[in-house]
Amino acid sequence: MRNFLIATLICWVVVVGLIIQHDRETSGPTETDKAGGKTQIVFWHAMGGPLGIVMEDLVTRYNNSQANYYVKSVNMGSYDTLAKKVLASLVANEAPDISQNYETLTKKFIKHHKIVCLDDLIASEPEDIKADIVPVLLENNTFDGKLYSFPFNKSVPVLYYNKNMFAKVGLDPARGPESLDEMFEYCRKITKYHQETPGEDKSVYGYGCSKANVWSFLNRILQHGGKIVYDGPDGVMKSGFAEPAAIKSLEFLQNMLREGVAREGQGFDHQNDFIAGKVAMIESSIVSKVFMEADIKDFDYGIAPLPGYKIKSGEGNLPETKEGEINRGVILSGSNINIFNNGDEKKVAGAWDFVKWFTSTDIGAEWSVRTTYLPVRKSSVNSDIVKKALEQDPNLEAPFVQLDYCDFEPRLSVWFEIRDLMADHLERATIDMGPAETYCTQMAKDVDAILKHATR
Amino acid sequence: MANKRNKDWGAYLYLMPVLVILLAFHVLPIFYSLAVSFYEWDLIGQPEYVGTGNYSRLFDDPLFYKSLWNTIYYAAVSVPLSIFLSLIIAMLLNNPISAIGLYRTVYFIPVITSINAVAIIWNFIYHPDFGLLNKILDIFSIDPRAWLQDPTWAMPAIIFMSVWKGLGYNVIIFLTGLQNIPRHLYEAARIDGANRWHQFRHITWPLLSPTTFFIFTISTIGSFQVFSQVYMMTPRGGPLKSTMVVVYYLYRKAFEQFEFGYALAAAFVLFMIIFACTLFNKLYLEKKVHYS
Repeated sequence: MRNFLIATLICWVVVVGLIIQHDRETSGPTETDKAGGKTQIVFWHAMGGPLGIVMEDLVTRYNNSQANYYVKSVNMGSYDTLAKKVLASLVANEAPDISQNYETLTKKFIKHHKIVCLDDLIASEPEDIKADIVPVLLENNTFDGKLYSFPFNKSVPVLYYNKNMFAKVGLDPARGPESLDEMFEYCRKITKYHQETPGEDKSVYGYGCSKANVWSFLNRILQHGGKIVYDGPDGVMKSGFAEPAAIKSLEFLQNMLREGVAREGQGFDHQNDFIAGKVAMIESSIVSKVFMEADIKDFDYGIAPLPGYKIKSGEGNLPETKEGEINRGVILSGSNINIFNNGDEKKVAGAWDFVKWFTSTDIGAEWSVRTTYLPVRKSSVNSDIVKKALEQDPNLEAPFVQLDYCDFEPRLSVWFEIRDLMADHLERATIDMGPAETYCTQMAKDVDAILKHATR
Repeated sequence: MANKRNKDWGAYLYLMPVLVILLAFHVLPIFYSLAVSFYEWDLIGQPEYVGTGNYSRLFDDPLFYKSLWNTIYYAAVSVPLSIFLSLIIAMLLNNPISAIGLYRTVYFIPVITSINAVAIIWNFIYHPDFGLLNKILDIFSIDPRAWLQDPTWAMPAIIFMSVWKGLGYNVIIFLTGLQNIPRHLYEAARIDGANRWHQFRHITWPLLSPTTFFIFTISTIGSFQVFSQVYMMTPRGGPLKSTMVVVYYLYRKAFEQFEFGYALAAAFVLFMIIFACTLFNKLYLEKKVHYS
């Protein structure tokens, strides 16, 4: 037995040794060699899969395009992991030069002077960059009147629909439902058709979504003309979750589930169901397109703007004069970019040069077309690259249509805590299926208790 | 006398590595975290002294009580269940049957497998639509359940998987305990006409009590620290927070909401609870232990 163990140990040492040797021989020049005397800029991001490929491609092109800087991009996995690593690196004084980030962390970084104010960098540019940034993105990155982070990869939710299924049940496959009521009708039609037609898969639903989806709930509040968080009369922040717009938003989902025309799943289940042809419509980020498209083989799919709320008189906070019109609203997601203040002017200049290049008219347009993220600049939106891409793939159009009524989630330090709490109430609402008002009132009460102590 | 001191010195030298490790990674962090629990600290800024502020906030948070309750639920079910099952298996494995080594290895494999890998496999087993468990239940005409997505079943599902995972460890320790019981006691009992139950009740159980006590104490401590399987199998703390346990609660406070002082306050409360439990075991239960 002992001889066996010793033999195993020796084998192990030899194998590991060979692997290390092999690694040394096959690995190319080390990072410092690649930088070749250029100033190295470390860039941490969370772009994986098809997004990571585009990112690497662009970074390589940047590195080859000029002689001063070398950008070393590192994929950290998820946004969560990235945020943790960035924080830990700041404590250890080993922060990257640039990184993707959410707004709440940006606020923390501003407070502790960890990032560079971009206004100072923009001021020395000959071109008026700020004037060319898409307004909602500019606003999203402006804190107390100053630009502290740069919009980088922002996306919008869209409606994906199965064109074949639409055609089969007699709906127009050229367009998605315009209003929420219409979507409900579509769901009824699709579900009923599959349940009543012999030989059809009875487990097909009209609409699929994930459980406790805060993003979708917030979109719907905006569609119903409601507010998420606002300043109350006494100067204390208040949530709009107990108000009719929010209650109607939750009721809408509950009603679809109650009628059995929609199905809730965990995590990305709804996307898999859509790919498998088990649901006809899902709401998801436009970026899901690049992850799903390779797997959708058996049918044509369309991408439409999220349906809106058709204004009726005497309902909600919306002006009655607009009766019959459709009120829309979508909330941005994705991240921005921070330049860290590591005390090296050259690195800051390099970081800014890279960000500027990456979001410039043509590169920004290419990034947008290849990843479906929103372009940062208006000139990219109007560029030939985008126009040509939209002609080739009409499914890319929905985000651009929605650009006019985009909004973003409150940038509060307590927002993640609030989001989590909201998810609990939303989860309870569709498990217990009681009256929507009960859950909304309780949600508002709990959220307001946190908001009372929060600062903007 | 001088000789004696030299001997001590040598002993301390040998103890040095482990003492340094214990001090650096166990003792100091405990006191450090106690100190930080009186501060508000987001890791990158300066800690701000808040006195017992974190503790009073903690005891105001209904979610903390919920996570405490869930942890107690987990411990109260998993510890006795694990002891019961592992004792039965250990007694079976204590018999002279063929391929005994193989059986012992099979029971020990889950223990040496990474909890993360195990959790991913069990996620498949528990899957509501394609899971193995629902398929098996279907054979017996039992309705499928959404195990990890159902507030009633999520915790039992986690407990079942954890017991399965930790069983081998307890089995090995019980097995050692069983083999330390002198054979002649059983022979004497059989001569006196004791049946299998009597032998278990009056020989095995009392003479195994030091082992049982050890396993009970260690499992209780471990079960209060349950984290990985909850984190891996029920993101966000399960349906309606039904699997939110204390360590996951403080993990989220620290690494998702970046409230380190607050999270350490929660950690310290947990430490005190575990300490109290262990003290109770030591002072009260150990009296019932039969050391031969």
